[in-house]
Amino acid sequence: MLIYSINRLLQLIPIVFILTIVVFCFVQALPGDIIDTLSDMESGADPATRALLEKEYGLDQPIYVQYAYWLGDILQGDFGKSLVTRRPVATELLERIPATVYLAGVGILLSLVIAIPLGTIAAVWRNSKTDYAAQVVSLLGISIPEFWFAILCILLFSLHLGLFPSSGYVGPGEDFGLSIWYLVLPAVAIGFRQAAYTTRLTRSSMLDEINKDYVNTARSLGLSERKVIYKYTLRNALIPTVTISGLQFANLLGGTVVLETIFAWPGIGLTIYQAIQLRDYPVIQAGILFLGFKVVLINLLVDLLYRVLNPRVSLG
Amino acid sequence: MPDSDLAARQRVDVVDRNETAFRIRMRRVKAGLANAWYELRKSRTATIGASMICVLMFLVIFAQSIATHNPVKSNYRERLAPISTEHYMGTDKFGRDIFSRVVIGGQRTVLISIAAVIFGMSIGIPIGILSGFFGGRFDSIVMRITDGFLAFPGLLLYLLIVTVAREYKLQGFWNDAILVFALGFAFWPEVARLSRSTALVEAKKEYVEAARSIGEWRLSIAMGQILPNCISPLIVNATVRLGFMILIIAALSFLGLGTSPPTPDWGSDLRAAQDHLESHPMIAVFPGLAICFSVLAFNLFGDGLRDILDPRLAER
Repeated sequence: MLIYSINRLLQLIPIVFILTIVVFCFVQALPGDIIDTLSDMESGADPATRALLEKEYGLDQPIYVQYAYWLGDILQGDFGKSLVTRRPVATELLERIPATVYLAGVGILLSLVIAIPLGTIAAVWRNSKTDYAAQVVSLLGISIPEFWFAILCILLFSLHLGLFPSSGYVGPGEDFGLSIWYLVLPAVAIGFRQAAYTTRLTRSSMLDEINKDYVNTARSLGLSERKVIYKYTLRNALIPTVTISGLQFANLLGGTVVLETIFAWPGIGLTIYQAIQLRDYPVIQAGILFLGFKVVLINLLVDLLYRVLNPRVSLG
Repeated sequence: MPDSDLAARQRVDVVDRNETAFRIRMRRVKAGLANAWYELRKSRTATIGASMICVLMFLVIFAQSIATHNPVKSNYRERLAPISTEHYMGTDKFGRDIFSRVVIGGQRTVLISIAAVIFGMSIGIPIGILSGFFGGRFDSIVMRITDGFLAFPGLLLYLLIVTVAREYKLQGFWNDAILVFALGFAFWPEVARLSRSTALVEAKKEYVEAARSIGEWRLSIAMGQILPNCISPLIVNATVRLGFMILIIAALSFLGLGTSPPTPDWGSDLRAAQDHLESHPMIAVFPGLAICFSVLAFNLFGDGLRDILDPRLAER
């Protein structure tokens, strides 16, 4: 297992290396002149300013030199300065992480609170009306685009009923009550979709467990159905649910670009989106590297986790 | 002239034999279709999904005749008109007929997602089948490469490719082609993995041995014998993926990374509708309903199809 883990970690190196090259190449492939974009906001684009700016950002060097410098800087944790705010990109992104973690965390918690009871009930009362209702709702949940659901939520709860603000963010450290008030709609929009996935998952793993022998044994020992279901079956059935939810949480970090845009939620997703709009190259690069690296890490985690949970999977 | 007589008779013979072969094939196809129909009617989800897909396909094929107005022509005298017999879904802020925009935009979205799925499968299936069939070193090299691509996050790929495409101001067909490329390219590693795992199982079966013993060419065993037997999980995967593709296309154009404004598109129309959310909420409802309908259609059909093709799973 240890050797396998080390092997798997070593395999990450080429993938991450290729990731950096691809990201660098893609941003280079973008047309449009950064100097012109910059000069619009500062002085005019006369040759002297141009040369000065090119020198400052290292744009007068050949591309592979630019790449080597860039990679070297990144390895030291220096992602350059944002072309728009002129602040270090690393600080810029790090500042945005708490908002994203906050939103994703509450969204996932909300989805678990909805999905675990719903999935369990659907499995225990299989083919009942409750089961069909749960299945229909969860199928709808994965079919509704989350941005449309978010818009409908804004329409109903914010514009029509005036219960919650339609967009904005207040940190939980500043004013907890107000922060929750702003969080409700985005968290519901995330939670609904996640709950739909998790309900399906809980239902099917619960059905798997209920048909196993130990459940019959427990029943034949005269344990009450309640005890059989809640004490033994549910506990085993929840392993995949909780595992997948953890991974979903990791996926949501930066994966909620659309929702963050709608709710003006100052997280990683919104930062990358704004950077794309403003052609803020260093921020795009860093943000996309962040996303890519995160996904690579998640994949590693999934692989290792499956080996731990199911030792029969070959270590090939 | 006996020679030509013989030739003529042979020709008749050939035609005749071909015809019987054709008849046998037709009978087989008919029996297959009847069987499929029977199975389809057993699963309610599949039936509902199939009928929804039929409606969707009807709208896609006859979109130009069904649309009542020119979807891009603005009409300032009828700005933000309510629902009427003239405009089934009202008009938007430029006085364009929303019904026509939803229908024409849907045609584009559905065709792009179908093309993307076909593109992804036409790369993934041959790679996966051959890799699973030949095995050995070929398999391990190919699978390492596939894993590398699989580790590359999809969202990132869409954002990168579509951003670059937008910067080059690609219009019309080329813009759509880039979208098909991005979506399909992110899809193929998954297809390759899936078809490989099925091909691995199939390659050990007797009919492959039989084909080999009569000296059939290895490539033709892989593509002619193994592929048809691997097709059912691939079809389920493709169906569900079609719905997913529609969601991604809508999300990308909602972020303003899809088509440029006058082209009708569900995602960008939803984005534009946000400006008038308070006064004219209905504008935001219809494109969303259209997305929901088509994604639900593919999800339902995919779910039902999985139950039909893999009865073991249906028992869950």
